[in-house]
Amino acid sequence: MNAIDASEHHERVDESVPPSLLAIVLDTNPHAWAHLSSTLPLATALANILVFINAHLASGNANSVAVIASHSNKSCFLYPTPAPSSPRPQPNATNGDVDMNGTTETTSYSVQDNPNKYRPFANVETAILNNFAKLMEGTKESHLEATPTTLIGGALSLALSFIAKATLLHSPSTSNSDEAMLAIADPEAIHTSYVSLASRILIVSVSGDLANQYIPVMNSIFAAQRKRIPIDILKLAGDTVLLQQASDATGGVYMKPERPEGLLQYLMMAFLPDPTARKSLVMPSAGGVDFRAACFCHRKVVDIGYVCSVCLSIFCSHDLPDNLCLTCGSYLSLRAAQSNPPALIPRKKKKKKRAGADSATPGGSTPAGSNTPMHA
Amino acid sequence: MSGSDYSGSEYSGSDDEYVGPRGGGSNAAAARRMVEAQQQQAKKAERKAQAWERRRDDSSEEEEYVPTFEEVEDTDVPEKSIQQMEEERKRKRLRKDTKPFQRGIIRHVVLVLDLSEAMLEKDMRPTRFHAMIQYAQEYVREFFEQNPISQMSVLGMHDGLCLRVSELSGNPADHITAIQGLRTPKNPQDFSKEPKGSPSLQNALELARATLYHTPSHGTREVIIVFGSLLSLDPGDIHQTIKDCVRDRVRVSVIGMSARLKICTEIVSRTNAGDESEYVVATDQELLRELLLATTTPPVVRTSKSAQAVASPESAAALMMMGFPSRVVEDTPTMCACHGILTTGGYTCSRCSTKVCSLPITCPSCQLTLLLSTHLARSYHHLFPLRNWAEVHWQRAREKGTKACLACLTPFPEPPPPDDTHREKDTNGHGVNGGMNRFVEQAQMDWDESGEQKASESSRYECRACESHFCIDCDMFCHIVLHNCPGCLSKADPPDRRTGEEMEITP
Ligand SMILES: [Zn+2]
Ligand SMILES: [Zn+2]
Ligand SMILES: [Zn+2]
Ligand SMILES: [Zn+2]
Ligand SMILES: [Zn+2]
Ligand SMILES: [Zn+2]
Repeated sequence: MNAIDASEHHERVDESVPPSLLAIVLDTNPHAWAHLSSTLPLATALANILVFINAHLASGNANSVAVIASHSNKSCFLYPTPAPSSPRPQPNATNGDVDMNGTTETTSYSVQDNPNKYRPFANVETAILNNFAKLMEGTKESHLEATPTTLIGGALSLALSFIAKATLLHSPSTSNSDEAMLAIADPEAIHTSYVSLASRILIVSVSGDLANQYIPVMNSIFAAQRKRIPIDILKLAGDTVLLQQASDATGGVYMKPERPEGLLQYLMMAFLPDPTARKSLVMPSAGGVDFRAACFCHRKVVDIGYVCSVCLSIFCSHDLPDNLCLTCGSYLSLRAAQSNPPALIPRKKKKKKRAGADSATPGGSTPAGSNTPMHA
Repeated sequence: MSGSDYSGSEYSGSDDEYVGPRGGGSNAAAARRMVEAQQQQAKKAERKAQAWERRRDDSSEEEEYVPTFEEVEDTDVPEKSIQQMEEERKRKRLRKDTKPFQRGIIRHVVLVLDLSEAMLEKDMRPTRFHAMIQYAQEYVREFFEQNPISQMSVLGMHDGLCLRVSELSGNPADHITAIQGLRTPKNPQDFSKEPKGSPSLQNALELARATLYHTPSHGTREVIIVFGSLLSLDPGDIHQTIKDCVRDRVRVSVIGMSARLKICTEIVSRTNAGDESEYVVATDQELLRELLLATTTPPVVRTSKSAQAVASPESAAALMMMGFPSRVVEDTPTMCACHGILTTGGYTCSRCSTKVCSLPITCPSCQLTLLLSTHLARSYHHLFPLRNWAEVHWQRAREKGTKACLACLTPFPEPPPPDDTHREKDTNGHGVNGGMNRFVEQAQMDWDESGEQKASESSRYECRACESHFCIDCDMFCHIVLHNCPGCLSKADPPDRRTGEEMEITP
């Protein structure tokens, strides 16, 4: 196998610990935090998470962090601070194009000059707190009334894209796209000859039902699986199978602590070790994950389901109205699926002997005796 | 070069057996002379076109141009063009068509590998044979990644015969082992399958047709042939075989090497309702790999207008009974029904409680398809593809005022000061909204017309649904790996948020 692989390999033996990028998805769903407020107020949780971030940054020189808020009406970066886009303000202000060059609104936070604080920690902390305050200010009552859930799919997608880009930038100067394509095509054999960025995602989740984002979250899980990015889950409240599946499929940690007020302790003990350290630790996991399917019609778990061959919807009964798929409306015949003959494995011997048989039978029509026009 | 020539007198004496082993006889020589003569022309034309087209792709071997921050800021013209070329090359990999067609999610694919002496050519490193074996394994992995509930079988065209390399099954490990076995046979008794003799397309098609004969009608029946030779030594009338394939709904794709063949064009166009695009020629190994991997995307289901399609599309859709088994945890190993070996844990069939060790699988005892809901979920992105993002012109970039990629926060280059043409347009009385809509319409047209995805002059790519801007790397990542738009999913209700400050997602 190796002998025929003629592509160039960039062997760079590096003994140092790979830098680690931690993307934290913080579920800031106001509804769920309101329920938790007696045991773990959001402010306390955020303070704990900041300590955890500092611990992560302190455990490696090149370690980095990204924090994404999964809010009820939007998901956005808390750190790094995104550059605000400035759409042209007025329809008629066409002459104002010039001012696009520099004079944009500058963000108003400033790092407090505390001589007792390690500067990078202070930077991260200030940015996160400022952005978080902005996010909360921007939340209107109408947003809260609109949905009780959180945009975890978007936050996960942002985190994965951010990690993908960081990994690209970190990898050595080989042709990035080809490398990426190789990784895509061949997840088993990603070229790991260089010390790659070890990334992981931590979701601090408080929301319950996420079924409305089933497809985006599943897509994110598969992407994480392909890119070998573990998704850790710290479930402070609520319950959802979807996130259990995420950690199970990507080899991440799943924890649902009984007492959410011990947040910092859980974070430090279970989620601080990076993937390199985890190899020598026994990490908590969800145990048995329920991967059974729920039918699309009643949301009840099925052992034997009926699946539309066009859109892959799962139904619990084959008695569909007019035999039309409830999701895509295709006409479905149950007969065609059930009278499927057992898959015969045609033997070569059989085919040789069946020369000249009816051409409708498989493999029967080739010999020159049958329909072949003969020339003298 | 016509098809009738092909079945001419040279073949009259060939009343070999179905699997006639006389690969190197005089027939072969005659056939080869003829086909080679046919080839000269086609070859020349092909080379010409390919050499021109491939030039840009060759640049992939050069070091990639990664613009640093400073360079991005710089709006030098020649530099831009290099970057744009690079981005264009990347975007060429995007799927051309992201319209939500109905796709054949449940596929039955026969992969036919050429194991004839033409594969000993060294125009691929180290030989075509080795390159193909390597890519075929990669292909199998990617195929089952993309099509977890599909089935595959591998055949080999070797010394006039068509050999079965692996049986039709949904287990990638079986196929990979079998393909590896072509180079290094597991059994010492097995004779080596190093390339030898001539290939026979007819034998291959017949065996593939037989393999697919019993597959259910709601699945696709596909044959993918990797064909390195420029000849085919057939025992009978291949046109009859093609007819049979058409009748049995078998679609054939051919990945040729070095030149096009008339007979392959005919096979492909007849079995694909006149569409010849499934016949492609790989001029180097990188292209071979790309072309092979391109077939992992499920094919579009044709709404059969052609008279050839016997099966109506309605009968093609079916309600399939599937089992979603639960995992069993055991302390002592028990026998699994699929391999007959002792394993701890596994899954029990929902209908007959047979233990199997991995999913997805067809229950060995009751034939129920057993899988997990996640296997179905893997195919959803084929059904709901992420639409391609549009190139963003400078004018649009100024309108939106985006400074950084929404997903990775990489800064975009600043738009240059607007030139007169743009200003004129704006002062013509179009408001921002008018201009924007017009632009979107324009871009929409561009997109619909040209399937090819081009580079954007402003290094921004815009999702049409949420109007967020992304960089090229996120464009690639989201379309090839993630299949989500981070912008759309980051807004609670994208269609309602078209104006005002709501439009900016980032505070
Ligand atoms: Zn139901
Ligand atoms: Zn359906
Ligand atoms: Zn087994
Ligand atoms: Zn069974
Ligand atoms: Zn980006
Ligand atoms: Zn979007």
